[in-house]
Amino acid sequence: MNMLPGPAQAAAIGLSIAFPLLLLCYARIAATGGSGRRFRLACVSVVIFYAIACVALPGQRDVGDVIGGLLLLGTAMMFCYILFSLLAWGFTLTLLTALVQAGRPLTLEHWAEAYMQGGDLGTFAHNRLKLLVGSGLVVTADGRLAPTAKGVAVAHLVKLVRLSTGLG
Amino acid sequence: MSFAVGLVAVVVFALLAPALQLMARARAWALGPVILLAIAAVVSHGLGVMLGIFAIPQFQYWNAASIFGFFVMTYVFAFGAVYKSVSLDILRGLVDRPGRRAAVSDIAERQVPDLFRGRIGNLVDGGLVEPVDSHFRATAAGRNMAGRIGRLRRAFGIGDTGLYDFSD
Repeated sequence: MNMLPGPAQAAAIGLSIAFPLLLLCYARIAATGGSGRRFRLACVSVVIFYAIACVALPGQRDVGDVIGGLLLLGTAMMFCYILFSLLAWGFTLTLLTALVQAGRPLTLEHWAEAYMQGGDLGTFAHNRLKLLVGSGLVVTADGRLAPTAKGVAVAHLVKLVRLSTGLG
Repeated sequence: MSFAVGLVAVVVFALLAPALQLMARARAWALGPVILLAIAAVVSHGLGVMLGIFAIPQFQYWNAASIFGFFVMTYVFAFGAVYKSVSLDILRGLVDRPGRRAAVSDIAERQVPDLFRGRIGNLVDGGLVEPVDSHFRATAAGRNMAGRIGRLRRAFGIGDTGLYDFSD
């Protein structure tokens, strides 16, 4: 068994470790925009660095090595995205931080207000609905919501994924 | 061939992970879904490495690990997306309704508050929040976790609203 990664794979492992550090650096630069845009920028950056590494590293490139490196990089990006999205958009985590920031026990209604920083759960619902409408999964007309064909397909896909992953 | 061994390990993972989730629910195990995914990943990766060592004389560990890591992370990504996504819960609820139509106010005033109460239940079950009369307050563990989340959010330049920023 050979435990040593190829040169491209070694570069991908290094870039995977550097990926969260790159996110930390971009957080210091205001021009990189919001959380989502910053994450996409970090992804594009590491892919460019990886391409440069594949060209610049000495010796002949092995296709398996390059593909393996790309897969490792993809793994790191998805892993970081799962953690990053929980931090940025996690509903339950934000509920907890809102309660702690309030500094006193809250009723359900006051907790919802603290969570929405003065708004109510309707504002939260509209934020999530805006995502569904923006993705073309749902349409609104006369104050009523209806799924598009794409939305129905995604809902069926979600059910299939839930079944096949044991979530039921 | 090493990539093929990685794929075999992915298939083992895809069978083992849902089986563990179903068994955990049926037998009321105290292990959370994420821990079960981690167990399935470790076991299937170990089996894959053993298969590679015994079946392939020139087994390239990182080739097998890269394809295994990528597909397992894709699985975890899909699992996370369907497990507790508020947006997808709204979409599923909409598709399951008779006529596949719902008033926006119904989603905002009924479904989202239900989701809100469900997440509070998760925080209480997790020992991060405790009910006090008609109020809720964070436990010491909850305050510690909120503190850590706050520090991470500040380091990564993430706001604390938990809302999607559509200016992205």
